[in-house]
Parts: sequence; structure tokens; C-alpha cells
Amino acid sequence: MLGLGVDRLQADINRLLASLFHQGVLDEQFLQLQQLQDETSPNFVYDVINIYFDESEKLLRNLRLLLMDREFSDYKKIGLHLNQLVGSSSSIGARRVRNVCVAFRSASELSNRPGCLRGLEVVEHEYHYLKNMMHELFQLEQQRILAAGVRYPM
Amino acid sequence: MTVEQNLEALDQFPVGMRVLAVDDDQTCLKILESLLLTTTNQAQKALELLRENKNKFDLVISDVDMPDMDGFKLLELVGLEMDLPVIMLSAHSDPKYVMKGVTHGACDYLLKPVRIEELKNIWQHVVRSRFDKNRGSNNNGDKRDGSGNEGVGNSDQNNGKEAMPKKILDLMNVEKLTRENVASHLQKFRLYLKRISGVANQQAIMANSELHFMQMNGLDGFHHRPIPVGSGQYHGGAPAMRSFPPNGILGRLNTPSGIGVRSLSSPPAGMFLQNQTDIGKFHHVSSLPLNHSDGGNILQGLPMPLEFDQLQTNNNNSRNMNSNKSIAGTSMAFPSFSTQQNSLISAPNNNVVVLEGHPQATPPGFPGHQINKRLEHWSNAVSSSTHPPPPAHNSNSINHQFDVSPLPHSRPDPLEWNNVSSSYSIPFCDSANTLSSPALDTTNPRAFCRNTDFDSNTNAQPGVFYGPSTDAMALLSSSNPKEGFVVGQQKLQSGGFMVADAGSLDDIVNSTMKQEQSQGDLSGGDLGYGGFSSLRTCI
Repeated sequence: MLGLGVDRLQADINRLLASLFHQGVLDEQFLQLQQLQDETSPNFVYDVINIYFDESEKLLRNLRLLLMDREFSDYKKIGLHLNQLVGSSSSIGARRVRNVCVAFRSASELSNRPGCLRGLEVVEHEYHYLKNMMHELFQLEQQRILAAGVRYPM
Repeated sequence: MTVEQNLEALDQFPVGMRVLAVDDDQTCLKILESLLLTTTNQAQKALELLRENKNKFDLVISDVDMPDMDGFKLLELVGLEMDLPVIMLSAHSDPKYVMKGVTHGACDYLLKPVRIEELKNIWQHVVRSRFDKNRGSNNNGDKRDGSGNEGVGNSDQNNGKEAMPKKILDLMNVEKLTRENVASHLQKFRLYLKRISGVANQQAIMANSELHFMQMNGLDGFHHRPIPVGSGQYHGGAPAMRSFPPNGILGRLNTPSGIGVRSLSSPPAGMFLQNQTDIGKFHHVSSLPLNHSDGGNILQGLPMPLEFDQLQTNNNNSRNMNSNKSIAGTSMAFPSFSTQQNSLISAPNNNVVVLEGHPQATPPGFPGHQINKRLEHWSNAVSSSTHPPPPAHNSNSINHQFDVSPLPHSRPDPLEWNNVSSSYSIPFCDSANTLSSPALDTTNPRAFCRNTDFDSNTNAQPGVFYGPSTDAMALLSSSNPKEGFVVGQQKLQSGGFMVADAGSLDDIVNSTMKQEQSQGDLSGGDLGYGGFSSLRTCI
């Protein structure tokens, strides 16, 4: 029974991952991240993704503040923030977020304010979607571990 | 450092490489951390860390856009001060940045996201370059007598004395690896010069890396100055000197052996390439069939300052055009060179020229024509494949170099040169790929290919000398068997067979001829250099 639970959870996890890959939300870099996880760093993926979330949220907040400012004109700064966002997103395999960031970046390079605003919204949307998916994934993973632990009592 | 020590150090590399990663992005850092050892998110801190523990780190991976310090600047500082291989990391795939990275001496330029496999590969490069550097520095160090070479791989053994090259040559004879070092030194030196001069010349050179290379060789023909192209890590310290040895040797070899046509295999190919100026020169040389003995020298990468500039100009013009005009231009440049150069340049074809020491003696009915054609092709191919010309610095720097070291050895350093070449070719082999330039016909089409690859490599990584040297070689070999002089020159360096004792013109001529013949053999991929054979495979 317990075994079934674990299997089911595992299947759910796999299905979720597959769908994320299919949607292009994640890409193979994410798999590489998973490879880096081993006994010496068992929560590697979880840690990295959390760091990513923290950093990205800070960046997004800064971006929004910058753009909301009426006298905003420092597109270069936006560009810098975006660079970092692009880099970190691609490092964890968040392909969709990265792509929309790149689009946002081109708008900022053209100093296109409305374009930037729109870009920011899209990025925020994608980012939140990714975050939710990741949360769900982690929850499933945790349940699976628990279930697996229970599987072999004693 | 003794050789043994170096070896020991090298052995340890694979075991535990200590890497310092610098990035302002926490996410990336964490990922890098899982693969590497120490991380820091501030460039300043990184710099301090590195300064304190110079011997503790083997490699630095640095992000490009960081708030407190420009990644490129850090790269430069690290490369110069500590002679550590630096790898750039960035979310930008803009080729401009890549160029910038290369010219600043990065060993490699990676794009984010960082992939495990890529890091693993990098590790190899680093080890290899360090290995070569150590080897080279050892050799050079001994030679130099502590002439203020601070960097490890100071190839400028020449402390400006003619004796040096010979010593180097001897050394080379003994340890083939030296050539690689020379190549790397050249690279470094080149970078160093580049940095110093930072002038448009360099740009010109860069554009035609091949050309430059040629020019360099041609100009110097001799080896005076080893074009320090060497890794960007070239230390600011006596740059000219450092890289000199390798170049010097090459230069010399070229001359005496008349371009050791066969030098294809010579490892220094990398050397040539390294010196972007050389490449440029090289190009010229090829185009000029033989008249410029200097052309041959160019390959050697020791472009004379004057000529070099001239060459560069020529090269640029002729870069993609195998026009003889460039040649003529070069010739002009050459004349300024000493006759010695003449001898160097014309390897097979130039044999005649070279030997005679006329910068432009075009040998009648000379195979040189062929060579020129080949070279032209090659140049074109190279030009096309080459990356955007590295900053003109190099050329400038190279020029400086020349001034520094007068051609002490006009003759023959064929041995040396060969040696140098060989060493270069080796590294080149690794990198050589198939560039295959269709234009090349014969023998060296491969070499040609390689060069092309190289060009790209060259630009890309100054630090990695193997790339450039191979190109140099490729150039040589590809041009023609006769042209072999170019190649042969390299061969001279590497093979040393040619030149070994070209004491007199006659000898040189003979050796050149022989080389030509043997070139074919060499093409066979006997290369000890390995790089050379790679050329063949490319084709």
C-alpha cells in the first residue's frame, strides 16, 4: 500500500515534470541541476531554486519600482537587472522565464517604456507560474520521500 | 622551478583543481559551488582572495557583468598579476563580449547556464595550458637567468640577447614541450603587447589574425621577438622578453631553414597564430611569393616593428584578397627587416629568397607562386574564419617587441624555430579541426583548415595558445608544400630537421628544399607535433 503511494507520487512528479518540459517552462538545464544533487548535497535542487526565487523576487521588485517611477530613464539599470535574471533563470533551466526576460531586455535596450512595462508584466506572470509549479513539485517530492520512508518501517 | 617540480604540480592538477568563482548572482554561484570549490559574489573580494592566495587557486571563473567591478577588468588583472587561467561566464552571447573576453586573455568564454560538461572540458584546457606554461616557464626560466621574468611562462628568455634564442633552441631541442610554451608565451606576450599598445594596429592585426601572423613572422622573420601573443596572462613584466624566446626561436628558425617548409608539423603553428600580428604577416607572406623572405619570417611571428605595421596594413588590405599588393606592401616592410628575415620567410619558395636575404627576391619560377596562392587561399580562408580582428594592440605590442630584441640570430635558428614549431603544433592538434579551406590545394589544405579554426580560436582565446600556434602551423603547411616554408618554418622549429645546421645560405636552401620534400612526408602526419597531423585529418 505504501509502496503504491510512493509509486503514485513518483508518477505524479514525473507527470508534472514532463508537462513542464513540454510547455517549455523548464529545459534540460533543470535536469543538470538534478544531476548535481547527490548524497553530499541532498537538497541541492531545492536550495538552488529557493535562492533563485529570493534573488529573482528582489530583482523583480526593483524592476517594478524603477518602471513605476514617472521619471524613470535608467534603462541601463534595467538592463543590468535583467541580465542577472536571464542568467539565473537559464542556470536553473527556467526557459520560459528566461525568454520573456530576453524580450523584456530588448525592449529596455530600445528605451521603450510601455514595452518595458508590458515585458515586466509578462515576466512576473511567468515567474509566478514557475514558482507555483516548483512549489507543487517540491510538495510532491516531500510526500514521496515521506511515503518512501514509511515504506520500510524499521 | 625545476622540471620535476612542474611535473609534480601538473600531476596534481587533475586531482584537485581549486577554482574560484566570481558572480554576483547567487543562483549561479550556488550551482558553480556544487562543482567547484570557493565562491564569492564580489569581484573585489575575489581579487583580494586571489592576491592573498596566489598559489591556492588554479582557475578563476568570473561573471562578466557584476556591479562592483567589470568582469573584464577582473579578468585582466587576474591574468596579468597572477597568471591564472580565467574563464568568463556570461548571460550575453554577444560576440563582442566574447571578443572582449578573448582579448583580455580569457581562457574560455562560457554562456549561462553553466553546464556540467562544459566545466569538465574547461578543466582540461586549464590543465593543459598550465602544464605547458609550466613547462615553458621552466625552460625559459633556466635560460633566462632570471632576467626579471616574473611570470611563470615567461618566454622571453631573450632578455634581449641573442644568446637566448639559441639557448632556447637548445632547450627546445631537448624538450619539445618548450615549443608549446613558446607558443603560449607568444600568446601571452602578444596579449601583453596588445594591452600595452592598444592601438589600432592591433586591430588591423586582429582582423587578419592570419595575416598578422604572417607578418609577424615575416617581419621579424627572425624571431626577434617572439610575438608574445601568448596567453593573455602574459604578465606585464617584461613582456617583450618573455614571449620572445618562443618567437625568437621561431623567427630564427624560419630564417635559416628558409621556412622549414615542412614545418607544418611544427607545433609552433600555434605560435604563429598566437601572434596575431604574425598571422597577419603570414598572410602577407603567402601572398608574396617569396619575395619577402620576411614573409617567411613573418610566420615566425617576429614581425619587425616597422614592418609589422606595414605588414599589418598590407595584411589588412590583402587580407581577403590574396592580392599581391599586400605582398608588395609587405615587401616593403620586409626590406626594412634584415636580410635575415628574408631567409626565414621563404621557406620552400622563399628558399631562394630567404637565402639570399633579399626581401623580395622572387625566385623565378618559384614554387613560391604556388605558395602564394596557397597562402592566399589560406589567408582568405583564414580571414574568413577568423574572428574579428583582435585589437590592434597586439600589433602594437608586437612591434614593441621587435624593438626590444634585435635579430640576433639571423641564421639559423632553424632548430630553434623548429622546436618552437613543434611545440606549437602539438597543442594545435588538439584544437585543430577541420576548418578545411577548400581553397588550399594540396598538402596543406589541412593546415589551412586548421588555421581557420585557429583563427577563430585565436581570437577567442588568447590565453590558449595552442589554438594560435596551430593556426600558424596550419598556415604554413597549408600553403603548399613549398610554402612549407611557412609551415616549414614551423617545422623548422619543431622538426628542427631542416634547419638544424643551416649555417650558410646554401645550407638553408638545401634544408628548405629538403623540407619541401619532407614536407610531404610531414604532411603524412608524422608530426611529432601532433598538431600537424591534425591538419591532415581536417582535410
